[in-house]
Amino acid sequence: MMDTLKDWLFWIPAWFWITLVVHFTILGTVAYLILLERKVASWVQDRIGPNRVGFDFGLPFLWFLKGMNGLGQPLADGLKFIFKEDYRPGGVDKILFTLAPGIMILTIIISIAAVPWGGIKQSTRAIDLGVNDTSAPVPADQLTAAAQKKLPPGEVVYGVPTPADQPGTYNVTFRYSFQIADLDIGVLFILATLSLAVYGVVIGGWASNNKYSFLGGLRATANMISYEVPLGLAVLTIVLMYGTLDLGTIVEKQAWMWHGIIPAWNIFTQPLAFLMFLVCIHAEANRAPFDLAEAEQELVGGYHTEYSSMRFALFFLAEYAGMLTTSAVCVALFFGGWHFPGLTGNTDPNNPAVTSHLLIAIVRCVVFFVKTLLIIFVFMWVRWSLPRFRFDQLMGLAWRALIPMSLVILFATAVVIYFFGHDRALMRVGGKMGLILLAANVVTLIVFFGAYLLLPAPPPTNRRIRIPGSRFNPEPALSA
Amino acid sequence: MKDSDVIVLEEPKLSLGDQFYIPQVLNGLGTTMKHMFRVLGGKDRVVQYPEEKREDLAIEKGGMLTRTYRGVHRLNKDEEGRVKCVACFMCSTACPARCIHIEADESPWADREKYPAKFDIDELRCIYCGMCEEACPVDAIELTHVYDIVGLTRQEMIFDKSKLLQVYDETVKNEPM
Repeated sequence: MMDTLKDWLFWIPAWFWITLVVHFTILGTVAYLILLERKVASWVQDRIGPNRVGFDFGLPFLWFLKGMNGLGQPLADGLKFIFKEDYRPGGVDKILFTLAPGIMILTIIISIAAVPWGGIKQSTRAIDLGVNDTSAPVPADQLTAAAQKKLPPGEVVYGVPTPADQPGTYNVTFRYSFQIADLDIGVLFILATLSLAVYGVVIGGWASNNKYSFLGGLRATANMISYEVPLGLAVLTIVLMYGTLDLGTIVEKQAWMWHGIIPAWNIFTQPLAFLMFLVCIHAEANRAPFDLAEAEQELVGGYHTEYSSMRFALFFLAEYAGMLTTSAVCVALFFGGWHFPGLTGNTDPNNPAVTSHLLIAIVRCVVFFVKTLLIIFVFMWVRWSLPRFRFDQLMGLAWRALIPMSLVILFATAVVIYFFGHDRALMRVGGKMGLILLAANVVTLIVFFGAYLLLPAPPPTNRRIRIPGSRFNPEPALSA
Repeated sequence: MKDSDVIVLEEPKLSLGDQFYIPQVLNGLGTTMKHMFRVLGGKDRVVQYPEEKREDLAIEKGGMLTRTYRGVHRLNKDEEGRVKCVACFMCSTACPARCIHIEADESPWADREKYPAKFDIDELRCIYCGMCEEACPVDAIELTHVYDIVGLTRQEMIFDKSKLLQVYDETVKNEPM
């Protein structure tokens, strides 16, 4: 009985369980991120933040769950959202109005699929392959093909199966990635799906039939168009360094220590690209100081002015889930993903992502997650420290600073790789190329700032523009 | 509009650090981090209201002087426990919010002619200016220092004579006439 259950469970592919766990963890985390945001806001402002709602539900015999430093707040908020009136103002486009929050949360949750949470897991299992067990040994490729058929989808046979104790059964070694979807184009996939999320904002703003919502949607578009470019270029420097679009491989290449002290994370070789990436993901996630799409002081609520109840909650959740994804990508690209000193694989020193212990894979997921939360903390820290950019400053930062700078750093990386890039393992910290890349970063920064001082000054922002014929202008209209 | 009417303001000149954003941003982040550490070290500025009240705290710790606070009204009683009010309508005349409604009747006692048969104050209309207290010739109406009055309905917040006398009974110990 137990064996049948085990066999049956074995047939469910690993990515199914990972999907379940990741999905519920993400949704739960997003709820608690809202609490964290309120807490961080309070701490910055010398307050304590929500600390009253526990899990006692007003029942006296649950006194020990009372308070809990506000941990019950997300549950209370969620219940409130569900029970509020779902109001839809007159004159809205009904279909698009309903569709917009869905588009936003859907695209963002999909984009989490390509995040490599825990490297590669390798297992060995005795399986009855059903090949004819004659005296002659079965050819290796036939064995592998038979074993591949017996494995659930997404898991790949590694090496040649070896005969096990019982006749007809073989020990099959197989590997699977500890992530939802092991895509060869993970970086592209995440960039593509994340930029689709802006459609939710634009469609929601347009369908609301409200000037403020519409302005919010338009601003989000302009914001997105400007900041996608330096974001893509910053990612491209990393892709150039490793010659792959697979996030898992990019993380694996960073899982290495220099002299056992400094981890070979990309932030040490490409600090400038990291800085630009960080700025751009703030804009990508529509967070302060680039949250012009929902500028409360100017646009009431921005694109979600007309939304209420669960529809608004979906927009809200999507914002935080977007932060989670972008932070996860940031960790994978620049902070070595799951890598932590000591957490390399135990099977093959040249392939540090592969591990045969489930525990190590889970610890890696935790490490990845904690790193992601730290980046998210930076998001919140920045939000409560910096004022919002004016629109022309926003555009100026993107087009006058970030895009030229990212082009220059991309060019410098390409030059370094063209001359010395025969071995990509040298690219990391401590490797010869790593140092050259770091030097290239610093030189780029200095050259860029030097060039900035020589550039002509930008036009003054507070120009008086005379409108001929205006009643505020004594000059006559042109036609008169 | 003439040019002479226009005041042209120059934008403040940005320093090099301002133009490159990063140094000033780091400066700001440092300030907020300092505040975060201060709160996490227990130096927040929060008064946990229902448990901690400002009138119980020292002034330098965010306390409040209730001595000068104008809160809910009360109707004072004399030594024999009778309502002091003589229904002269001075308070309701002085009231800028028109929230005092008095119905006078012939007094059952020998030392005065009238007394209030009804005395209603709409605590939701009241602006707590204290004019009624100033106007009263017999010191019958007074504002206490009680600020936390609540009710579930508007009707509940219209205090009648018995309620106002009850407020007197509850506050007379802390705030003698």
